[in-house]
Amino acid sequence: MLKLSVADDANVQPLASLNDHRMSHPPPSPIYTLRGAGGPLNSLHFRCYGEDAPLLFSGSGKGCIHIWNLNTRRTNKVIEGHSGSSIIWVCTKRSKDTLISQGRDMQICLWDLGEGRCDLLDSVWTGSVGFCQCSMLETSPISSLLAFAGQQTEEPDSCPGPLLLAGYEEGSLLLWDVTQQSILSQVKAHPDPVMCLTFDPTRLRGISGSSEKNLSSWKLDEKNNLQLQGGVTLANPGVSQLCIREDGKLLASAGWDSRVRVFGWKKLRPLAVLQYHTDMVLSVAFSDHQDPRQRLMAAGSKDQRISLWSLYNES
Amino acid sequence: LQRNTSVSDSDSVRLEVSACLRCLSSSDSSRNITVLQTLLSYLDEASHGAAQRAQFSRSHYSRTLRVLITTIEADWVHRLTARQREELWDALFLRGPPEQALLVLLEAIGELSPSTSLDHVVTITEKFLQDGRLTNLLWSYCVGSAQSDSPQLRETLLGRLSALPDIMANKLHHNISPLFLPQQYYPLLASAMLTALQRTCQALRGQHQPDNINCSLAFVSQTLGKLCLQGHGGLVLAAMAPRLSACTRSDMVWQRVCWKLFESIPQRSMECVLTALVLAVSGIVGNLVLRNKKAEFVITHKLLLLQYKYETGVLRTVLGYLAADRDRRPLLIQVLRCICQAWANPSAVKHTPMEQQLYVSKALLLSVSLLKDQELQDLRSELLQCLLGGMQSHLDSSVLRIRCVGMVVGECLSSRMDNADTKLKFEYEQDEETRELLSLMTPSGWCEPESESLQETKELAPNTCSVASQRRQTTPPLAPTDPDSDLDSDDELTPYDMTEDQEVSQTSPPRYLRDCLESLMSSEDAMRVELSLKAADPLVRRNAFAAREISVQMSKVLLHMEDKYNIQGFLILRHAAMVALAVTDCIPVTQYLTTEFYSLNYSLRQRLDMLEVLVAAAQELSLPTTDKKNSSIISALDVAELPPFQGHDPVHWRQVVEKRIQSKTRRISKGASQPATAKATPNRYAPVAGYFFFPLLKNYDKPEVTFDLLGSDHLVLGRLIHSLGLFMHLAVNAPVAAQMGSALLDFVWTVRYHTDQMVRRGVLFAVCSVFLSMPSQNLLLDLGDMLFETRTWLTDVAEGDPDADCRSLAVQSLVLLDKSLKKQLKDPQSPSLES
Repeated sequence: MLKLSVADDANVQPLASLNDHRMSHPPPSPIYTLRGAGGPLNSLHFRCYGEDAPLLFSGSGKGCIHIWNLNTRRTNKVIEGHSGSSIIWVCTKRSKDTLISQGRDMQICLWDLGEGRCDLLDSVWTGSVGFCQCSMLETSPISSLLAFAGQQTEEPDSCPGPLLLAGYEEGSLLLWDVTQQSILSQVKAHPDPVMCLTFDPTRLRGISGSSEKNLSSWKLDEKNNLQLQGGVTLANPGVSQLCIREDGKLLASAGWDSRVRVFGWKKLRPLAVLQYHTDMVLSVAFSDHQDPRQRLMAAGSKDQRISLWSLYNES
Repeated sequence: LQRNTSVSDSDSVRLEVSACLRCLSSSDSSRNITVLQTLLSYLDEASHGAAQRAQFSRSHYSRTLRVLITTIEADWVHRLTARQREELWDALFLRGPPEQALLVLLEAIGELSPSTSLDHVVTITEKFLQDGRLTNLLWSYCVGSAQSDSPQLRETLLGRLSALPDIMANKLHHNISPLFLPQQYYPLLASAMLTALQRTCQALRGQHQPDNINCSLAFVSQTLGKLCLQGHGGLVLAAMAPRLSACTRSDMVWQRVCWKLFESIPQRSMECVLTALVLAVSGIVGNLVLRNKKAEFVITHKLLLLQYKYETGVLRTVLGYLAADRDRRPLLIQVLRCICQAWANPSAVKHTPMEQQLYVSKALLLSVSLLKDQELQDLRSELLQCLLGGMQSHLDSSVLRIRCVGMVVGECLSSRMDNADTKLKFEYEQDEETRELLSLMTPSGWCEPESESLQETKELAPNTCSVASQRRQTTPPLAPTDPDSDLDSDDELTPYDMTEDQEVSQTSPPRYLRDCLESLMSSEDAMRVELSLKAADPLVRRNAFAAREISVQMSKVLLHMEDKYNIQGFLILRHAAMVALAVTDCIPVTQYLTTEFYSLNYSLRQRLDMLEVLVAAAQELSLPTTDKKNSSIISALDVAELPPFQGHDPVHWRQVVEKRIQSKTRRISKGASQPATAKATPNRYAPVAGYFFFPLLKNYDKPEVTFDLLGSDHLVLGRLIHSLGLFMHLAVNAPVAAQMGSALLDFVWTVRYHTDQMVRRGVLFAVCSVFLSMPSQNLLLDLGDMLFETRTWLTDVAEGDPDADCRSLAVQSLVLLDKSLKKQLKDPQSPSLES
């Protein structure tokens, strides 16, 4: 199916566009793939707004952060800042050209990417050896709040009561009031460890995945109580990441069975099962293009490839 | 002096009437009008004394009417004006004692041939009914004022009263007035009876007659009894019962009258009245059952234990009637004891029809639900005894429906007896029948725990259903709908094809038959075993050559295989693989299976498996195939046809039997067996039919320690006979069919009166298939001497077997037998019986 020329380190091969294949019943193929990350792709992050070329950041298991230019479909830059330890999370701040990365060397690093630089601005030692990803809340262009798993709880600055959802290895979901440092609600969502979760703040609904076959969907009610709402049963167990598209229509899951599953977010209706990768899919992300027709979905796998998909972009 | 006057009175009346009648008989028309007036005056209070009137109506009225009828054709009658005729001639019939008038009228109708005279008499009769003379008739008997009362006359009158619609219809055929139709006449009679009863009430209260008169309800009771005896009880009581129950509810006098009415009903019609009554409404018979032995027998025994044709509502009425009154409650308990015995009786479970068992079960549940807690405590030990014995005999049955009824009743009884947590709980499928049974436990609101548990079970049912349906779905089920999500949701997004989304398995299925066998034999890896089992059927069919080398060994492995890893569809997969082996390498595998069938150390389940495999293989072999491509398709069809083996095989078996019967019925009606479109291919089954059939006939009467076919293992016996019947059926047109047929008939002859109906069904099925498949000349030769015995046996079963399936199968066999007999006798070419 794929004819790829291995000419370059970061080879990009466009495939048939699927924009016109809305009515076709067989599941779509990726519109192109990005190769050359040289390791399992643990984390993906798009930055496609503004006038600059759309970028995709990827964190690999070998400790490299690749910055991919989606116009040329090649790497702009590779950052190696976590001394070879696996990168488990990458994120950009919306305000400036800064990048935050979290690695398994227990460091969270802040990078300045402005004007072609890639300088390490700051780093935080977390002391956490787990796989728990950070979460960032940007309340205003100048203040933002970063949550990471640490050894002990520390008192954060007194911001106006943000809430934090955390999934634990014994299968529970906890809703924390960050300022009060109190648990608002707790629910046992899975019998196995929570591997990933995502939350839709507009609908106050979220979904979490685990190492078993079920995705568990839950809702946050007016009294800040978490309520389980049922979920979806997958054909094969294990989900590494869940992602909701910005318009709240699609949910994508990165499955350990090397398949990406796409659901309608409102009713969790299964829409597509995307088979391209040959190993576990570790990360999935939707792009933040301003033009909805250009929106992409990226999936990063243990087979060292990133596949990019164009799904349900007509409306 | 008094007597003298009366004597002279009577003489004068007699003389005058005789003169009048003589005059009427002659043709002198001028005087006849005055004569009629004279006669009419005897019916009038004003013109004659009471004694003379009584004398006339007692002795001369009937005679007068008869003379009138004889003169109906006379000229002077025709010369009467319409008014004269109405006022004189007709009035004589309508004003005199009604019983005599009615008898004469009906007698005349019976004698006259169709003519205007007949029409005239019919018109008078119609008027007789319309004028409410029936009420007068009944009432006159009530107060004892009826003139002529002898038992014979009474009996005749009762007969005429109850059969009036029939008499009229016989005479008038289609020109009958609607008034004489049963639908109108009997309600009319019923309302006449009601009026008579009402007058009796009034008389008892002393409203109407100032002086106390004696009322006798005997005649009304007799009329009612007669009507019910002749089967008109439904119409009559439908009109009477509502009124009666309304009146008796509050009125003491009405109650007494009513009870008296039913008490004086003659013995022989008591049952009919009571059954008609409970069909209409109870409550109006009072404590009749306590006073009348016959009534007690009917209510407490006959309606509950001997008959079973009534609806549940009747049971409810009867038992509710027994439970309603304090005096009758001992009867309820006595009834409950009887029902318990009947329900728990193992012989009844075996020998009574299913419908009756269901009826008795309903009665049991209803009566238990009517018991008070105190009574329940007293009866506890007996109920427990009944429960235990009954459960055992019901669960022993090989009929699924009986087991199911047993489970439901057991559950209900135990939950009624124990409020603690020692309730019985069974797993059975909810259907209409079980739901009805369960609903019987909650006739009233005073037993809360039952209603709760009932609701629980009701709620359980849909849950299990949904689980089952989810399990059946291979695609991931849809997420539950979000109630507050708006309408323009995911529907605009068309899903892609998701059939590829199968479970990923780590190991790959075996490619070679020997690998497959190896992993089935020795692998400890659940996944490998499952894949091997799944691959076995296609592998065997694809590599027929390799399969022949290891067929027996593989059959052995599969036969002894256990579902260690809880593989989904294990039984179906194993069955399919074994069938594939038996089809591919027919003779060795069938030899192996048929020998193993009678050997030691197999469970019943395994023996049944062997039979199933043999049957499926025979079926597949007998289907016409042209090439390898088709064979796989057919095998897939074959497997698909088989319903999943989920533990309740009798159902599956029953379905197969029914399917067979249906296919047979079609064959009879169509004549030709197959449409001619199929290409002619050699029948693969015909040459090997004997290998399937004959080894199974050996050894059946040699009991092993673990296997006693003619004893307790009658489940297997039934299946064995059924399988043999199937082999026979499939062997139609095969050369060996004649030998097979005679052997099979010999075999089943010994077990034809087996107590288990599954065995009997199997036997009859086998007989059916013999009659179908065996060439008719052989059939007659073989049956020859046993022909009449067989016929008698089949007629016997067709008439008297408690099992409905057995009866219909026996009828099928008789039809088939007659058909082949006829064919044989008509065909002169075939060898005769003597040869």
